[in-house]
Amino acid sequence: AAFGLYFPRKEYSENVYIDQPAGTPLLRIHALRDSHGEVAHFHLCQNLIISRARSHENHWFQIREKSGLLYLSKSLDREDFNMLSVGNWMPLSKVMLYVFLSSHPFQEKECDSAMRTTVFLSLINATAPACSSLTARQLCFTEMDLSFHIKENKPPGTFHQLQLPSVHHLCQNLSISYKLLAAEGMPFRYNENTTGVSVTQRLDREERERYELIAKCTVREGFREMQVEVPFLVNVLDEDDSPPFLPNGTDTADAVVEFNRKEGTVLATLTVYDADTTPIYPLESSRKKYTGTIITDDPWISETFRVEHIFDEIHFSPNGSQVRGTQHEYKLVLNKSISVTEHRSFQLDVLVNDTEFHGPERSLMLHFNVSILPVSIQFPNMTYQFTVNRNAERFAQIGKICVENCMKFRGVNITYKLLSLNVSCYPVSILQGREDKYGSLYVNDSSALRRPECKEIQYTIQATDKQSRKHTKTLLTIVLEGTLLKEEDCPDSCAVGKHRAECEECGGLGVLTGRCQWRQGSGKGITTNYSTCTPSIKTCPDGTCDVIESRDPSICPQDCTSGDIIGGHGKGTGNLGIKSGHGICYCFPRQNCYCEKDDIKEQLCDEVCKTVI
Amino acid sequence: LAGPPSPPGQDPHGWRVPVDCVRANELCAAEPSCSSRYRTLRQCLAGRDRNTMLANKECQAALEVLQESPLYDCRCKRGMKKELQCLQIYWSIHLGLTEGEEFYEASPYEPVTSRLSDIFRLASIFSGMDPATNSKSNHCLDAAKACNLNDNCKRLRSGYISTCSKEISATEHCSRRKCHKALRQFFDRVPSEYTYRLLFCSCKDQACAERRRQTIVPSCSYEDKEKPNCLDLRNTCRTDHLCRSRLADFHTNCQASFQTLTSCPGDNYQACLGSYAGLIAGFDMTPNYIDASPTSITISPWCSCRGSGNMEEECEKFLRDFTENPCLRNAIQAFGNGTDVNLSP
Repeated sequence: AAFGLYFPRKEYSENVYIDQPAGTPLLRIHALRDSHGEVAHFHLCQNLIISRARSHENHWFQIREKSGLLYLSKSLDREDFNMLSVGNWMPLSKVMLYVFLSSHPFQEKECDSAMRTTVFLSLINATAPACSSLTARQLCFTEMDLSFHIKENKPPGTFHQLQLPSVHHLCQNLSISYKLLAAEGMPFRYNENTTGVSVTQRLDREERERYELIAKCTVREGFREMQVEVPFLVNVLDEDDSPPFLPNGTDTADAVVEFNRKEGTVLATLTVYDADTTPIYPLESSRKKYTGTIITDDPWISETFRVEHIFDEIHFSPNGSQVRGTQHEYKLVLNKSISVTEHRSFQLDVLVNDTEFHGPERSLMLHFNVSILPVSIQFPNMTYQFTVNRNAERFAQIGKICVENCMKFRGVNITYKLLSLNVSCYPVSILQGREDKYGSLYVNDSSALRRPECKEIQYTIQATDKQSRKHTKTLLTIVLEGTLLKEEDCPDSCAVGKHRAECEECGGLGVLTGRCQWRQGSGKGITTNYSTCTPSIKTCPDGTCDVIESRDPSICPQDCTSGDIIGGHGKGTGNLGIKSGHGICYCFPRQNCYCEKDDIKEQLCDEVCKTVI
Repeated sequence: LAGPPSPPGQDPHGWRVPVDCVRANELCAAEPSCSSRYRTLRQCLAGRDRNTMLANKECQAALEVLQESPLYDCRCKRGMKKELQCLQIYWSIHLGLTEGEEFYEASPYEPVTSRLSDIFRLASIFSGMDPATNSKSNHCLDAAKACNLNDNCKRLRSGYISTCSKEISATEHCSRRKCHKALRQFFDRVPSEYTYRLLFCSCKDQACAERRRQTIVPSCSYEDKEKPNCLDLRNTCRTDHLCRSRLADFHTNCQASFQTLTSCPGDNYQACLGSYAGLIAGFDMTPNYIDASPTSITISPWCSCRGSGNMEEECEKFLRDFTENPCLRNAIQAFGNGTDVNLSP
């Protein structure tokens, strides 16, 4: 092992009083061994560290190199106290000392060993108290919790002394005795002569990682007897002594690539367990300790796939008591988007390696059965036919064009294009939907709809896959119907309409039949189902500002506005549009929207509106 | 029982009263020997630990000179002008000296000398209604009303609420960074008689406690998709001067103590509540009430001790300073009840 000896505690504490004589013992520090035959040597460093104040050279404290007893080598007088408290703003002065540990005698100035523990000494601005003034708690234990850590798989040894050397020295006429309760059947022993507590056997964290005992102290002074009990805790520290294993023996998973071919797609996941803990902090070093590598000579495979490793803490219960372990997940991920023409199947092996485990079973192999299926770019077996009213306005949405399975595609970009046959009538255009899955047909030139010579218009639609340049075609027929309505003097936008009557007698950008549509809300309070005037209830408002609506702010400000909304409302995703409103919502494109109750007879503010914060 | 810390300016022990680090830096810059030593020390500290630094003669000499300069004892004030600059100067010296791996760090801020009772006195002037007498009232709602009646409080409160509830896109629910900044402005610029009433109001029912929990808009400022490990979070916080300082301040003023009646250092509730509020916009270390329980108050930052490995004990100790801290709990309850400790002079 890298470091042999170690401290079973991170911190120790004790009080120091004015004018305590030189030679007063303060506290006892223990070390535990990594292997038999090691001998501990303790050493103090030169400096006293005082939080936020300047450090001082240590003239007062020394430690016995072999026994670990920290004692006063020179008494602290009032002048020393004042000097050590300068700049220390806390009402209580604390100084800090580092105690270092080594398996060989210390040379001069050896203060950079990794094995160290901290001693906090509280400097009390008074002379040592009389024993009779101390409570049983103060006589028996320090303020610090009795909490220890012992490494698993290490030889037994003494790790604590219950008796406080300072109290023992000060109050010799008192009888203070200790007991360790709840220790039956546990691997710890209390020695009454030395008050030392030792661990009696090698511990196994995977068996049990926490021992909770009770330290009981009895103080006798003449006929008076006082008792105190405090928790005595031992945590077992983990080392990497378990190999990885497969839950249920599953080492194989299927990974199918079909419609979802996008970079970053998780194709399959396999799980590996380990009874050891894995700290998620620092994350990168733990990832490096537990590796997952794709085993392949094929450069195409190593470019196209990667393995992502995540891990999480899980609990095992080996014998009633819970211990922590680790679940490692290895995800096979697409490292780049795969072309629709690609077609192959193979087995991909991933080698998992627990690099810090020293044993033959440190690694295991995971298998992914990868099938990459080609995707054909073709229209469903039909031609498209849409009927368009002659009164439809510019940006009216006619319909959607989609190659087979287009809505399932991810990482496949399809471009739709209209090829016109008869040049004179060309009323519709196409725009790409989000993520290039489908195309939206809309009216681009409403004057062409009105011309009597345009009746039935033929188009060819071409869909092209961007990556492979594969394309396919189908026929589209647009049939014009309806008789022309009389032109009214109306605003551009349906959204301006504030009342049902004025809404339904006007047209506006995006209308399908020449007239706007009224949506009657149900609405109490602020609701997504508010009343409003729209070119088509199907598309506006539907909570998304689609590609066609975003072409002109007059089409559907209810979905697309980024301006102010006056009145009770909630904004939509990305701060666009009105998600919910109070009463009727209407908008002046490029300006503000308003949401308000129209009905004056109703109370101005009911219970619902009062509760708005 | 320990007495209150002495107010700055008075100086019973005869030691130097600290100046703020921005001022100390100016004083040092005016003195050629100080400024050159300061530059040397900063280079010494860059990326090295204390012991290797002290092994270098030149570094040690620079440190000895600086120990006598005002830079060494300088402090910062919360919400002061150039606070960030002040903290940068502070940590540029103290980072290497107070051992990076220390569990608790000392606060770079000046000690708080005002008491809770000062706030109650002010609060009773503006509120007109005594919260202690009306047992049916919702104190958290009263606090919101009181804030809305004050222009400054209302403006900064609606400022952070709208920033923290503004949806950016379908995947990004709000801008956490901007939300924290707006919250920081609210807690730095609005007097504590308003902010504390919102944050620490006492509750008898769930609706009130839910309002209290919602004060900082936790869906944006507090919660996240995943709960990081608390030690990892502390590490992230310590890489940022402001977060590090606010956390150190919290540890200094709210660390449970056995030596006082209230469990708070110096029995100073005000100091603990102040550093709690100071931590709120402290980036990801922001603490909050974990649920809407009206009576049992549990506070935690957004983190857990899952995945701590061998550091679990340390992680839980860190977390317990929030979740099971008698000083913090007593301070919050004392504020809610309108009581402060009576200190004999």
